[in-house]
Amino acid sequence: MRSARGRLQRRWSSSLRWRLMLGSAVLAVLFMLALLPALRSAFLIALEQSVEKRLAADAGALISAARTDNGKLSMPSKLPDEEFDIPDAKLLGFIYDREGNLVWQSRSARDISVTYLPRYDGGGNRLLRIDDSNGDEFYLYDVEVDLLRGESAAFSIVTLQPASDTQALYNGFMQQLYLWLGLALLLLLGLLWFGLTWGFRSLRGLRRELDEVESGHRERLSEAHPSELLRLTGSLNRLLDSERQQRERYRHSLDDLAHSLKTPLSVLQGASEIIAAHPENREQTRIVQVQIERMSQQISYQLQRASLRKSGLIRHRVPLRQVLDNLCEALDKVYAGKQVTVQRAFDPELQIPMERAALLELLGNLLENAYRLCLGQVRVSASISDGGCQLCVEDDGPGVPISQRERILRRGERLDGQHPGQGIGTAVVKDILESYDGELFVEKAELGGAAFRVRL
Amino acid sequence: MKLLVVEDEALLRHHLYTRLGDQGHVVDAVADAAEALYRAEEYHHDLAIIDLGLPDISGLDLIRQLRSSGKRFPILILTARGNWQDKVEGLAAGADDYVVKPFQFEELEARLNALLRRSAGFIQSTIEAGPLLLDMNRKQAQMGGASMNLTAFEYRILEYLMRHQQQVVPKERLIEQLYPDDDERDPNVIEVLVGRLRRKLENANGFKPIETVRGQGYLFTERCR
Repeated sequence: MRSARGRLQRRWSSSLRWRLMLGSAVLAVLFMLALLPALRSAFLIALEQSVEKRLAADAGALISAARTDNGKLSMPSKLPDEEFDIPDAKLLGFIYDREGNLVWQSRSARDISVTYLPRYDGGGNRLLRIDDSNGDEFYLYDVEVDLLRGESAAFSIVTLQPASDTQALYNGFMQQLYLWLGLALLLLLGLLWFGLTWGFRSLRGLRRELDEVESGHRERLSEAHPSELLRLTGSLNRLLDSERQQRERYRHSLDDLAHSLKTPLSVLQGASEIIAAHPENREQTRIVQVQIERMSQQISYQLQRASLRKSGLIRHRVPLRQVLDNLCEALDKVYAGKQVTVQRAFDPELQIPMERAALLELLGNLLENAYRLCLGQVRVSASISDGGCQLCVEDDGPGVPISQRERILRRGERLDGQHPGQGIGTAVVKDILESYDGELFVEKAELGGAAFRVRL
Repeated sequence: MKLLVVEDEALLRHHLYTRLGDQGHVVDAVADAAEALYRAEEYHHDLAIIDLGLPDISGLDLIRQLRSSGKRFPILILTARGNWQDKVEGLAAGADDYVVKPFQFEELEARLNALLRRSAGFIQSTIEAGPLLLDMNRKQAQMGGASMNLTAFEYRILEYLMRHQQQVVPKERLIEQLYPDDDERDPNVIEVLVGRLRRKLENANGFKPIETVRGQGYLFTERCR
């Protein structure tokens, strides 16, 4: 339960669309809550006006039916509005004289006792809500008339109608109002969701393109975006282009640097070999050759380090099978006399979260060790789980003694400290893994030889 | 063997030219890919050593062009970077092995000889043909266990014919194995050298493995292994 709530909270806080949706929904509900009293009071005003009109009309009917004789009021036995005559009807009529004495009441009002005292003050008419002795609520309309245009026949005509009738009308109206407001809210939220989805379509498209760029399926973002996003995509494209060009330039510069440093070293190496042909020079040339070897290893190592920096923008994933096939094809040529069999113990679709060049170097160095030292069997296994990526290269060769294993794994082990002529393979592998926060383990392989296990 | 060396650095090119020449190879040493393509078209090489960092066309493109024009000789690449990207690309383009600069000449020679043996279908560094045993590492021949006294040119002709056993080898091809330059070519020299070689083989115990195919060249008839 808690985790579901947490997920929902994360979703609201992480998604722009969800945030907008939540904000709009709260605004819509607040707006409708504010609208509700206004609508209710407007309805009540309209309702009271219609009640007033009705009661005024009924009072008018009583007035037109009334006769005065020497200031004495007489009402016909049959009134024009039949409702006054029906007991328990919903229309009541009372006539009071100027002093407030009840002079007539309709048949419908016989059982009703209303404690209302009209005050004849020439104020015209008014509408009130009163309660009878039973506590029932009534609308009361009081109109003052002077039947003979003199003070001798001044009466207050009072008509009443139970408020329960209008209450039912009001309740029905409120039910309808709630229903329609609810439906309108739902419709509004639906339209809002649809609009936001449509509006954010371009952002989703941009996200998809970015995913494709990150995974290496696309070189740059397209131009098919709304004008508001074009400036952003343009900047990103420039950044991508510049990074790509910079990497390319960097690679070429490193190639040139390697060529321009290593070729003179080759010349020196060659010259030293010729000088070494004279026995008296042998010791000196051995020193020269060791230094050449050290310089060469340092150059190779530093160039490899420089070229294998991790790209910050693009998240690479490389199919392991393709890289392994390329390397095996190359190594099968180099070790053609050895007939090495490479077992592939991994899902053919498996992708390693590394740059291609870095994976080539990592796997190339481990595989070459395995090819060189194996008797004929090499196994590459890999798997990806929640804990990360595991990659293992095993061989059936002599294996690595435990003392050597520690030395290989020692962190920060500088190349100068290693034996000359050892090669830079493991040092490069360790460097690559460091930049990917990975680890290298050296173990005994099931095949009998060494197992180099990599955790990424 | 006739080798094609493509290296833009003059000193290194010269070093390879002299050291490989000292080992009994005839070396075509050129500085760029255009010249290399021309030489490969003109002559029959047994192996090429190609530097990947060439100035005009890259070494990779040169290898691709050589392979697409049908050249099947083994190719050894020299790479300065020594990274796997370069090695894989080079080997995928058609090279057969690589050596990372700077290299010891012995390492280059060992790789080169292994490639030459592999391309001729031999895994060992010796070739046996009846009583004749050719040691390609020592550049020596033995007949019935006794060392033969062959000159460098005679040895080269014998090795070339034995590597191309059961095939007719034209005289021009043999001349290419002996002399690097066109102007020194004289078919009579080959006839004289093959004549001497035959006599030395025959004198030992009447062994006659080299036949003349009229108008075409020479054929080493004995089966080699």
